[in-house]
Amino acid sequence: MNSVLDGKIDIKKVVFTREEIEARVKELGEQITRDYQGKELVIVGVVKGSLYFLSDLTRYIDLPVKVDLIGFGNIPDTTSKTGVVKITKDIDIDIKDKYVLIVEDVIRTGLTTAYIKSELEKKGPKEIALSTMLLNPNRLLMTIPVKYAGFEIDDSWLIGYGLDRHEIGRNLPYIAELNKKD
Amino acid sequence: MAVITISRQCGSLGDELANYLASKLGCGLVTRDFAFEHFFDGSSDDDKRQLEESPKYFLKTMVDSEITYKDKLMEELTDMADESSNLIVVGLGGCVAFSARQDSINVKVGASLSTRKSRVARQYNVDDEQAESMLMTADRKHKRFVSSLYDRDLNEDSLYDLVFNTDRLSVEECADAVLAMLDRKVQRLKIAAQTLEETSMNHQTEVAVFKNETEEEFAKILDMYNIDWMYEPKTFPIEWDEAGNITMAFSPDFFLPKFNLYLELTTMEQKYVTKKNKKARKVMELYPGTNVRIVYKKDFLELAQRFKQFGG
Repeated sequence: MNSVLDGKIDIKKVVFTREEIEARVKELGEQITRDYQGKELVIVGVVKGSLYFLSDLTRYIDLPVKVDLIGFGNIPDTTSKTGVVKITKDIDIDIKDKYVLIVEDVIRTGLTTAYIKSELEKKGPKEIALSTMLLNPNRLLMTIPVKYAGFEIDDSWLIGYGLDRHEIGRNLPYIAELNKKD
Repeated sequence: MAVITISRQCGSLGDELANYLASKLGCGLVTRDFAFEHFFDGSSDDDKRQLEESPKYFLKTMVDSEITYKDKLMEELTDMADESSNLIVVGLGGCVAFSARQDSINVKVGASLSTRKSRVARQYNVDDEQAESMLMTADRKHKRFVSSLYDRDLNEDSLYDLVFNTDRLSVEECADAVLAMLDRKVQRLKIAAQTLEETSMNHQTEVAVFKNETEEEFAKILDMYNIDWMYEPKTFPIEWDEAGNITMAFSPDFFLPKFNLYLELTTMEQKYVTKKNKKARKVMELYPGTNVRIVYKKDFLELAQRFKQFGG
């Protein structure tokens, strides 16, 4: 897989193999299938990090789910020299009175997840739950209930399965630890 | 919940602003016509005519009642304000009637005489002279109403939170400013109410004065994510001596009302923050339902890094 990283990124070790990821995502998908029986579920993936997790997870969910994507970014704002975080790609599906599951690649402080959750709450869903492939529970600042977490992680810098380093490495089929941040 | 009072000069677009705000907020709108139609039901046509003609008539006691027409007006307005999520009151001296309420925003809308004249001339299809005469009469009536009922001068600056000159502002632009102020004010009042507890000391300040740059930068990060915060809103006593005097207290740096969460920043290395951790734990034990998290140096640095990437 050196070609994926083009030799520019130094990997220390593989943290979660392709097989481990597949097995865990299958478990999560089955759990979600049980939990949302008979409920109208809209799954909202957060671009771009969650794309691989989202596509694998939804294929293990045996329910008629609807799938949408949401993106956020920093937008210049006249009232703030730093700009503000805003939704850059909103969902198209109406989630009013529906069950919503947000799919993230990784939750560390939870700041961005909290932001996305609060934006979606404005659309009047019945309930919003959170799922993430990776969760660092020791760093979680915000009081956000994460219902489904693939693996717990520590502070190491990770790449692969949606996680990138300068936009490279998302398409690695496993999750690896980087030797250093840059 | 809030009350928006609008005092407007004739031809200033104040009525248009009130209607626009009412439709934007989907809330009730009390105008002079509405008040006369609904507030004085039991009054005779003659009483109503007298009320229309002379503000002083409002000080008279109502028939078969012990209260005056002014009392009745105030009572009806207060009831409506208490029962609605938001309420807009146009004229009627609302800026004075609601001046004691924390949840009111008092707006004055005016414009230059020439602008108002041309608007009135166009609206009523009259010439400039007639328009000016109409304006003078209306201004006098408004002024007399407030001075008769409340003994206040309608031109007092201190009656208003926001003053608009619509010579160069559109109705939408004025409304945006009112709505932004309303949003902030409702939020602030909500936060203040949420953080009032008997056992802790509430010391919310109007403007945050940060102790260091880290706190200031963290506030900017929260702003960037549109997360409402309060800076050091309260102090939690956590240890007392035998006489009941407070010997130790903890004032977390930030409170995030939406998450019911207190955050304490530390830029020290993690191993040195045991004391802060202990205090945070103690607050959570002594004040059930209170969440306190420590923002460690690395959390802060990572957030700050992301903040810088965004151009901060």
